[in-house]
Order: sequence, then structure tokens, then C-alpha cells
Amino acid sequence: MSAGTNTQVGAARGWRLALSALERFGVVIAFVALFAYNAITQPDTFLKPENLRNLLNQNADIGVIAVGMTLVIIAGGIDLSVGAVMAFAAAVGMLTMNALFEGGGNETFSVVVGLATGIGLGAACGLLNGLLVTMGRIPAFIVTLAGLIGFRSVTLAIAEGGEIRAADGLTALQSFGRGGIDIPGVVDFYNQPVVFYWNILIFFAVVITGQLLLSRTRMGRHFIAVGSNEVAARYSGIPVNRVRTWSYVIVGACAGIAALMSMTRMNSVSSSGVGHLAELDAIAAVVIGGTAMTGGRGRVWGTMLGVLILIMISNMLTLADVEVYWQGFVKGVIIILAVLIQRGRAN
Amino acid sequence: MIGDGPFATSAGPILPGIVFPMLEVGDISKSFPAVKALDGVSLRVEAGEVHGVIGENGAGKSTLMKILAGIQPPDEGSLSLEGVPYRPRHVNDASEAGVVMIHQELNLVDDLSVAENIMLGREPRRFGVLDFGTMRKESARILGEIGATIDPRTRVGDLPVAQQQLVEIAKALSQETRVLILDEPTAVLSERETTLLFRLIRRLREQGVAIVYISHLLPEILELCDRITVLRDGRVVVETTPADSDADHLASLMVGRDLVDVYPPRMPIESDTRRLTVSGLTVPGHAVDVDFDIAPGEIVGLAGLVGSGRTEVAEAIVGLRPISAGEVRLDDEPVRFRSTRDALHRGVAYVSEDRKGRGILVDLSCIRNTTLPNLEAYGRLVPHRRRERAATEGWIERLDIRCPDARSPIRTLSGGNQQKFAVASRLDSEPSVILLDEPTRGVDVGAKRELYHLIAGLAEKGLACLMISSELPELIGLCHRIVVMRQGRTAGVVDGPTATEESIMRLAAGVEDHAA
Repeated sequence: MSAGTNTQVGAARGWRLALSALERFGVVIAFVALFAYNAITQPDTFLKPENLRNLLNQNADIGVIAVGMTLVIIAGGIDLSVGAVMAFAAAVGMLTMNALFEGGGNETFSVVVGLATGIGLGAACGLLNGLLVTMGRIPAFIVTLAGLIGFRSVTLAIAEGGEIRAADGLTALQSFGRGGIDIPGVVDFYNQPVVFYWNILIFFAVVITGQLLLSRTRMGRHFIAVGSNEVAARYSGIPVNRVRTWSYVIVGACAGIAALMSMTRMNSVSSSGVGHLAELDAIAAVVIGGTAMTGGRGRVWGTMLGVLILIMISNMLTLADVEVYWQGFVKGVIIILAVLIQRGRAN
Repeated sequence: MIGDGPFATSAGPILPGIVFPMLEVGDISKSFPAVKALDGVSLRVEAGEVHGVIGENGAGKSTLMKILAGIQPPDEGSLSLEGVPYRPRHVNDASEAGVVMIHQELNLVDDLSVAENIMLGREPRRFGVLDFGTMRKESARILGEIGATIDPRTRVGDLPVAQQQLVEIAKALSQETRVLILDEPTAVLSERETTLLFRLIRRLREQGVAIVYISHLLPEILELCDRITVLRDGRVVVETTPADSDADHLASLMVGRDLVDVYPPRMPIESDTRRLTVSGLTVPGHAVDVDFDIAPGEIVGLAGLVGSGRTEVAEAIVGLRPISAGEVRLDDEPVRFRSTRDALHRGVAYVSEDRKGRGILVDLSCIRNTTLPNLEAYGRLVPHRRRERAATEGWIERLDIRCPDARSPIRTLSGGNQQKFAVASRLDSEPSVILLDEPTRGVDVGAKRELYHLIAGLAEKGLACLMISSELPELIGLCHRIVVMRQGRTAGVVDGPTATEESIMRLAAGVEDHAA
């Protein structure tokens, strides 16, 4: 009798542990499962190094934005303007680069200044958002919604609705986009080394930096405290407004880095296409990764897996010949599932 | 006492026509992953009885109440109402059965009006739309019955906490209530409001409602209750009556040992310098022309009724509220802090009365909470995690905090231990002045005693302490001097060792004015 009860209690505890593991590491399990599924069903296409490389390369910019988004959400905010800021920063960066080069500037110098301008401008837009939220006391949703509309509009106006190409002869930009490091032993079908582009490496570098910032630095601790309970944070002597403003500056700078990545990859800036719906993909990745939309709780590595999961789903659906129109539906379902599974942790 | 009401019954042998108790709790047990919160608890509450339930934090009171109110199911045991099995699966089941609980943390919707809150979920309708007229009239009637002068159209969020509590009680009474559970209802009430509440409770008792009354304040338990159940470590220690017991006896039953030296001896103040001087302080809307000072090593009490501006004065000193006139001097140098951060940097710390809302961050770990206000000290950019942990463990040891793992979320601890961490987090930067706002609220007797000794120990090391409290005995027991506030002004100062509750209340209520 008592043995029976013990077994029952043991089983119940086992279930609880399994459930809490699912809540905590569900995103890891989902990632591994999706990867395995893709690898098994599409061994010839999916697992090819150049396929993996290309998938990462095409989405690295969204990934960088998602890292910034994670931090801003943990700090209790939201930034809907990231996609528009990315386009704005890319457009101005490209124009700066072209103007310098065509004005007779050194090619490398022009590219470096152009790219740095993009990052700086992104951070500046973030600062503006942050000040409007903290000093202006306007809800972040409204401020950044206005930013989404406004910055996109300015970008379209600058480019007259079209594309800004890199100046003729400006090859350094493209060679940066194609450059990277060869991982020894990784070769393609023709036995040529597969280059892992700088953009991919930047993405992982941003992930690592973001996670360390969150879990190891004072600023990260302040983000968590402010997002968890702003009033208690203020009573604890945390400069709440400064902390919140910084979170917007960081996500803005991430949008600037994403602008850099899209410039080097495309060698041009499409005023309507760059960063289009980036805010939604980024938020989706954050949610899938297990960060609470209410702030105070989250993780950058989870967001990274969220980005990879979204990439794999698109890839899977494309390879399975699912019409592109249906892909959004599947993503929507995945987001809901992710929240349902992870909800238990809050209670 | 028992046996003279119309509803009084005795358990007696099983005979036809037996009257069952209104609420019977039989052998209830409930376990959580780490603890056994309730272990075979039984309780009988008759109709027309006020049954006090007391115990230290963590004794299982809250769990028992949550089970009664349908928030959590028990693992084992049975519940019945007038002999009918009662198995609430949800709060709604409980209120349908007539079991209503009034929480320590109020459950009102801030953005709705008083009337809308009272009628929430049972709104009267006319032609399919809300009938605001009836709602208002009905609410006004209930509020009138309990002697509350609150306009039913007021937004609940705009009311002071004490009045919110009355709204909550009105809400409970607007339903058919058979069992009313009150969890620390007087914690936020002034003396006058408490008297009103007690009158109300007695009237409900006469109407045959079974009332379960939880409180830390033993005098009020003795005054109000017909029977008292003492819980300790999830078990019933004893069931007794006020006639058979007194406060000291109950306190030692709760703690499981005799409580001696509740208040530490007062240390003499040696220096005649002043650490903190407040003169003519005016906080718009809350306080006018407030004066007091604190010497190093001194514990100064700040007494006054709820709403007399005590908290606002403390908050203004540390920069949380604007000051329109007057001066704060720290070591004789005028200061005007812009924020709590600024105040902390200058060595003035404030521990809020609202522990869960402002004092601590409930979701963060004990370590994170302890070091948060003073994080710079652990590394300019990257806090040194091992040092943080060591510091936290140091505080756990120094303040005798019961905390199995410093890395676990602080919300898993009992109120008293959370409060100790709230104090520790403000002490970590080694302030020279500490303003403690209701530091013992919601804390059990044992932990209170420890907090008193902690505060006295800090003062002995030269810290200037301001202690705001609604509990006069602790101010009298602990403080060197007690400043009394009335309606935003300092009404007078009494000497701690010679103060009486009466002398303080006279000042707080303005009796002296009429005499003069």
C-alpha cells in the first residue's frame, strides 16, 4: 500500500520534473527535434554546409535585432520601430558611403565610415525612442509604433521609394559581405571551402555579448530589476529612466548592425524591403525563446534558438513545397504553442 | 462563552436532528514540493461564531484559507458545510456555496468604481445593459450598513487602502455569505476603522455567519473571537477560548517556546550631535511643517494614524516625493535628495512599508535582492558573483534569516524572512541613517522579536533609525523618543521609556487640543 503510494508520488514528481524541464528547455528540445527532422527528411539538401551557411546568412540581421529586442522586452519595454530604423540606418549609411567614395575618398575609409554611420544612427534613433518613453512618458508601444511609421516614411522619401545601390567601383562593401572565415574541413560539393560569412559570425558574437550583458553585468541586472518591478527598482535606488533609455539605445544599435549586415549582403538598400516586418519576426523569436513579454525574465540564448527555429520552419516548408502563403500560419501556430508550453513557469 | 448562542451546538453522539457545524474541516493535509504545509488539520466553526486562527508565518494559515476559498485543493481530508460535503474547485464554487474570503492583498479592480467592484460579476442589468442606478443604490445601501462613508462612484484606485478594505468587505456582504474568512483585516485600518470593523463582525455573528478570523495581533484575537485555534508547522497545537488564555500564552504556543525579552534594552545615547534633522518639512498634500531629529544610535518612532502623512514624510526625505518647504540636514549639512539612489549614496536608506510592491523584487533570488541597491560595490560593470553570494550569506547569518538556498526566488520565503532581506539590502551599502516603514507588518511574533533586536543592534553601532509603525507597543518598547503626527503635522514628541499607548493616542487623535 505504502509502496504503491510512494511509486505514485515518485511518478508524480517525475512528471512535475519533466514538465518543468519542458517549460525551461522546451525551446532546446524543439530546436533539436526540428533539426533532426530536417536532417533526416532532407539529408541531401538541408545538411549541406552551404545550405546551413546560406540560411544563417540570410537571417543573421533579424537575429541581431532579436537579441536587442530580448533586452528591451526584459527591461519592460518593446520596440516596434526596429525594422524601419534598420532601413533608415542602411539608407543613410549607404548614401554617406557613396558620397565619400564619389567625392574621392579612400574606398575602405568610405565603407567603414558608412557602416559606422548606420550603427550610430540606429543607436541615435533608439536614444530618441528611449527619451520619448522615459522623459516624454509616452507608452513604448506608441512611441515605437510612431517610429515604425515615421522612420520608414523618411527612408522611402530619401530613396524616392526605390533602391539605393552602392556606387560603381565600390567593391569593398561586397567583398566584406562575401568575406569570412573558412572552417577547416568544411567543403562543398566541388571540394571548395565553404566560407562562413562575417555576418554569421557577427550574429553569434552579438548573441554571446547580449547573453553576457544580461547575466553578468550590472546593466543586465538593472534591466531585469526594472522589467520585474519598476517601482521596487526605483525604491532600490536604480536609475530607472536611465536604464530604460539604455535598453532602447541598445536595440537601436542592434538595428544599426542589422543595417550593416543587409548592406554588405545585398550591396544595395531597398527602401521598402529592408527590415520589412523585422519587428514581428524578432518578437516571435523572443517569445519562442522563452522571454516573458511582461518583462523581468528572459534569455538571449533562447532567442537565438527561436531565430534558428523560425529559419528551419521556413526552410522546411519551402523544401516541402508548401505554398509561401501558408508559412505565416505555421509560424503563428508555433508562437502560440511556445507560449502555452512555457506559461507554467510564471505560476 | 460557547453554548449560549442560538446556533451553538455540541458535537454529541449521532442522533437524528443533530445540527451540523457550519464549517467542518476534517484531517486536511497539503504538501508542496519542499514542505508539508498542512498535516492533518481539523477545525470546526459553528454558525454565529468568530473563530480565530493564529500561527507564525509558515504555520499553514494561508494554505488552509486558500483551501477553504477554493484556490487550492487539499491532498487529503474533507470539508463540509452544514454536514454537506464541500469540495470547491474554484473560487467561484466557494462563493456560490457562501464561503467568501477577504484577502490580505486586496482583490479589487483599481480602474472600476466602488459600485462596479461591489457588484462585479453579478451586475444588475436592465434591457441588457448595466443598470448603474441600481448598482449605485445597492452599493450605497451596503456601504451604509457597514458605516462606510464612501461615494460608490469613486474609482477604487483613488481610495486609500483602508477604504479599499471596506469596499472588499462590502463586496463580500453583498452576497449570501455563510462563512466569511478575514485574513489580517486590520493591518491596513486605523483605530477608528478597526472599531467599526469589529462592530460589523459582531453583527454578522449575530446573523449566524461563521467567521474565520486570522490575525497576528493577539489582543484583537482575544477581544473578538469565541474560540481560537493555534497552528504551528502545519498542525493544530491547541484549540482554546479567550477565557482560558492570554496573549503571552498564545504567543508561546505559536512559537513553541517562551518568548522572553521581546524588546531589547534601550542603549543610552551618548553624543548630543544630530545625524538627521528635519525642520519645517512640507510635502504638498500630505505633511506640513514637520520637525524632528535623530541622533546617531537613536531609534526615533514615528506614530500617527493611517493617513497622517508618516510614510509621505519618509518618502520625501529620500527624494521620492517633492518637498515644497523646509529643510533636511544630514550631519548638519543641508541636503535635498533627488532620488532614492541619491539618498543611498549619501547614506540614507529607506525600507518601504509595501514589501512586495516596493521593498523587494519577488521574482528575483535572495542574492539579487540583497545586492541590487548596492551593486556598484561588487564591480563597476560586471558584478563579482562569488562576492555577492558571500555577502548575502553573511547577511543570512547576521540576521538569522531562514533561507535554505540564497539562489532561490525570494518569494519562496516567509514574510518575516523577506522583510529581513529587504532590510539587509538597504544595509548592504552601510548607511548612517535608516528609515524603516512598518518593518514588522505581516510578520509573526518570533520574527518581530528578531527584527527588534536587529534594529537595536544597528542603533548600538551608531546608526540613526527612524521607525514608522502603527503598533504602539513596539514603538514604546523600542524607541528612545516617539514623534506623533496628526493630519500631516507633528502633534508632539513623547519620551520612549515613559510613553503609554494612551499618551500617544491622545496626541495622534488630537485630544490634547480640546483640553488646552
